[in-house]
Amino acid sequence: MKAVALLSAGVHPRSGAAMPVPVELQAIALARRLGCEVAGVHAGQGGPAIEDCFGHGLGEIVVLRIGDGDDPLAAIAGEIAVQKPDLVLAGRRGQGGADTGMLPYLLAHACGMAIAADAVGLAVAADGLEVVQALPRGARRRLVVRLPAVVTVHESAPPALPFVYRDRLLGRLVETAGVAVAAPAFEFEARPYRRRPKLIGEAGGSAEARLRAATEQKSAGGKLMVNPEPAEAALAILDFLKKFR
Amino acid sequence: MSRIRRDPREALAAVTIAVSPRLRIDRAHRGGAGLMVAEAVVEAPRRIFVDNPEFYVFAVGDAPGGVLSRHDRQVLGAARMLAGGKGAVVFFAATQEAAGPLGADRFMALPGGYDPEAAAAVLAVAVQRYAPRHVLFPESADGGDLARRVAALMGAPLFDNVEAISAASAIRPAAGRRVEWRAAPGLVMTIAADMVAPYHGVPHEVAALEPVAAPVRRGILAAAALAVDAAEIPLGQASVVLSAGNGVKDFQGFLQLAGAMRATPGASRVVCDAGLLPRGLQVGASGTVLDADVYIAFGISGAPQHLQGIGKVEHVVAVNTDLHAAMIARAELAIIADAQAIMPALLEALRA
Repeated sequence: MKAVALLSAGVHPRSGAAMPVPVELQAIALARRLGCEVAGVHAGQGGPAIEDCFGHGLGEIVVLRIGDGDDPLAAIAGEIAVQKPDLVLAGRRGQGGADTGMLPYLLAHACGMAIAADAVGLAVAADGLEVVQALPRGARRRLVVRLPAVVTVHESAPPALPFVYRDRLLGRLVETAGVAVAAPAFEFEARPYRRRPKLIGEAGGSAEARLRAATEQKSAGGKLMVNPEPAEAALAILDFLKKFR
Repeated sequence: MSRIRRDPREALAAVTIAVSPRLRIDRAHRGGAGLMVAEAVVEAPRRIFVDNPEFYVFAVGDAPGGVLSRHDRQVLGAARMLAGGKGAVVFFAATQEAAGPLGADRFMALPGGYDPEAAAAVLAVAVQRYAPRHVLFPESADGGDLARRVAALMGAPLFDNVEAISAASAIRPAAGRRVEWRAAPGLVMTIAADMVAPYHGVPHEVAALEPVAAPVRRGILAAAALAVDAAEIPLGQASVVLSAGNGVKDFQGFLQLAGAMRATPGASRVVCDAGLLPRGLQVGASGTVLDADVYIAFGISGAPQHLQGIGKVEHVVAVNTDLHAAMIARAELAIIADAQAIMPALLEALRA
């Protein structure tokens, strides 16, 4: 099976230095575990951070050179049409740009591929690809997806392959000019990010209701059992848990 | 110098709002001065019905397990705010339970179970038919996925992860949270969790909208929930945590009990310091801060640092010998007993 991992120009969350996006390295590891032949595809300027992915298990990276204002979708869709992979892996959202997480979906739509989100495990199934999907609270869902497919990878996927310096030196870098299409214009005002407070409790309502919620001690509905028989206490706990399961 | 003295009787009469059946005095003048009401008038519960809306605002809910989540309520709150008094909020989910009091005016059912492709197709057709001003989704795992499918089908830009919204503008983080984008509210938006207040006003009347049929091109051939071993779930993500403190002596039995209850095991600092359970299980300020639904504390008195770790947990069960322990005060079900005696009984009851 042939796979393509989409690489984006990551930045370190604190220092702002260029680095590979961790979840994309996990995607490479997932594809390698599946026994795929994996190539990396990056639309943008390339650079040492992208080439570091060689060290984490990529044999070849195609850098499609496009300008800053260009839409990566057109360039990547063109490359996918040439390579014709069975599987395209990507992170849930890019880093450093618009970060909307739309690219995998638009790519799947443009290439007529199926899409599944948040994979933490991949396996070959009889009629396609088996994807184990991560859900909140540690839950998992098993999907069978028709191939070819785009699959986005979740942070709780198995860790990336360790960095091997020799592989970093031996990787094959292909640089071509990508299809340059200007990104659709979108009017917005950009300014430095400001953290906003999160709602706590069931906020909202009248000032009186909010004051009451903030000052009244929350009575837990407190059922108190003093020195019960162990069996009786056990039944009370199980009855209590039944309400939430 | 003489000044006019206040007449105490007159002042009292001015703030007295009722004499019978009991004396009622309102010094804040909320009922208006000198308002003498013999009996309180019970107002009939009002409901708002938006008859001929000028425009529509769509709100899409996850409704996991057939119940509206906190996040769904917040999305409905944002939709209600955008719709104002003249627009109608159309709620899309597998269930319409309690959507009216949260500000929904219309309801259209989405296919039940996990079927994002069919749901996206229905939404894309509904958007064409009703031409809503905005379509709002929760930025949750499934809601965010559905929003991107719909935006890709419609070819519309997505304004995702909105952290602040008003009728004039919406704000989202970009470039790894180093900048934020501010723009007029767009067509397709996803709302970040715990950022927008739910609607608390007068309840709305919900009418059903005629369902739309949409052809689906299937890419996901099968979907099923997987059974997960609770002990393998990271503590910070677990929904039920069973935690051991100084009152627990038999740790083999404790881990067995956690397995039988399908709960993720946790521990207090004392237990981890003593090396009785691994450090990774520590709950509290210097361990893991939980996001669980239910926390069951066996033999934990509840140091402030431990209580910080369970600050977000709604339902707490505590078993402790000390009636005055902080954990007993925090618990919804508090049992004053030796945790070591309750554990085997609980295991027995689970096996029966």
